[in-house]
Amino acid sequence: MAKIEYSNQEKKTLRKMFWNSGYVFAGFNMVKMEGNAFALTMAPVLEELYTNEDERKAALKRHNGFFNTHAVMFALIAGITYALEKEKKTKNSVDDDTIESIKAALMGPTAGIGDAFFFNCLRIIAAGIGIGFCSQGNILGVVMFILIYGFSQIIARWYLLRAGYTFGTTFIDSVFESGLMEPLTKAAGIVGLTMVGAMVATMVNVNLAWTINVGETSVVVLDVVNSIMPGILSIGLIFVLVKLIKKGVKPITLVFGILIITIALAFFGIF
Amino acid sequence: MIQSGLLCALAWLLVNGIDRLLSWQTCTRPIVTATVTGFLLGDLQTGIIMGASLEAIFMGISAIGGSIPADACASSIVAVAFTVLVGADVETGLALAIPIGTIMASVNEIMKPFLASFAPYWERLCATGNAKSLKIQLTFFGLFVDRMAQAVILFLAIAFGVEGLQAFIASLPAWIMSGLGAASAMMTGIGFAILTSMIWNKEIGVFFFAGFVLAKYMALPTLAIAILAFTVAVMYFLTQKQIVELKKNGTKLASTDNETEDFF
Repeated sequence: MAKIEYSNQEKKTLRKMFWNSGYVFAGFNMVKMEGNAFALTMAPVLEELYTNEDERKAALKRHNGFFNTHAVMFALIAGITYALEKEKKTKNSVDDDTIESIKAALMGPTAGIGDAFFFNCLRIIAAGIGIGFCSQGNILGVVMFILIYGFSQIIARWYLLRAGYTFGTTFIDSVFESGLMEPLTKAAGIVGLTMVGAMVATMVNVNLAWTINVGETSVVVLDVVNSIMPGILSIGLIFVLVKLIKKGVKPITLVFGILIITIALAFFGIF
Repeated sequence: MIQSGLLCALAWLLVNGIDRLLSWQTCTRPIVTATVTGFLLGDLQTGIIMGASLEAIFMGISAIGGSIPADACASSIVAVAFTVLVGADVETGLALAIPIGTIMASVNEIMKPFLASFAPYWERLCATGNAKSLKIQLTFFGLFVDRMAQAVILFLAIAFGVEGLQAFIASLPAWIMSGLGAASAMMTGIGFAILTSMIWNKEIGVFFFAGFVLAKYMALPTLAIAILAFTVAVMYFLTQKQIVELKKNGTKLASTDNETEDFF
């Protein structure tokens, strides 16, 4: 990758972003997952780029959407998003939907890579070395574990953040010059929506426990519904929610709505 | 025992707090947690040795695929605490630790809808644009609120024994637990719905279903789906690129045509 000289302002923003990117698990919740941390990580960028207060507020709220990936790869996407936001402000070549599509397209695959490398590989190596020392009562094992598994992630986060920004800037520049921004937006949308569909399939579950007893036989409703199409309830749930959100129903209503409905239905044995 | 209970709750908050402010899942691993607990309870050596065996036990048990059988971090704290305080051997400590780990796993489930109900609060906070306040409150949440309920339960378990807690969890009606579990699995849908409504586009919306089918019916791993989607996206992009270039050249040709006509 070409070496890029960062301006002082860029260095300052990247440094602030790096510290904020440590908050991936703080304020984690099932609705937005890492959305809080992503908004916080983008805050220095918005501070730098947006002079209009109202636009900045709207952008911070936009980055508080659903976000979920591996904690280290999080920084890479944040770096790319920094580059995108900058392009949006300085050249007006990128719009909000493009930024959200690219974020959605990247979070699934990067999560897979991050988990495979850090959680399933590096953690096992670090634990293997650590256990060897610790079983003899040597505290060096704990130190080694933290160094290999913990500090490697901090260093990786720092470099991936910068790499994401550099890559984003050079890549978007070349695309913009060739006038291919609109096809690129659509292409990113294709990957983004496919990944959202895949994540809905694996992460959103409507677990009906409902069985209807007819005489001697009992019918498990979930099996009947799934025999029409597996996961049809998840898709149904998503599109009902999309419809409600487009109608302007607030997320808080949806959160408590789901909570009350499921517990009430669980009382009757439906969930 | 009250003092040791407080120390164990402190160990829990400490390792969880550090992990939450550094994006780590390092200090909550048994090898570190057990050492920290041992140190706080005044027997570092036992903590280190137990950390090794606890890490080996919990190494294969990970959160991938949904339900976690037992919370590794809480189990480690309780195992070390019982070994150091009661003088039990490692096996007994572990036998006592697994029940509290399972209780903690249920508590984590109960806490999920509670924490999810804060999502609209964070959104409002972001809409005010006050990044400093967002950071302070997220720090406070990461250090205390996110994991406080578990710390209280850990304290009660060490100070007053595990049996009472087990009875309490068992006395909760089953429908409350299953309702809460179903709710947290559905709440993730709200986040996805917001995201979908943002990037949905009639031309490409159908790809949502392609992704769903690839994951649900074919059970492909995420990376495989991403590569397939990427292939289609590249094909789409290159076709569009040709169209853009054709349009450019087309207008050029047309203009030269005009010139020749003028010439004649």
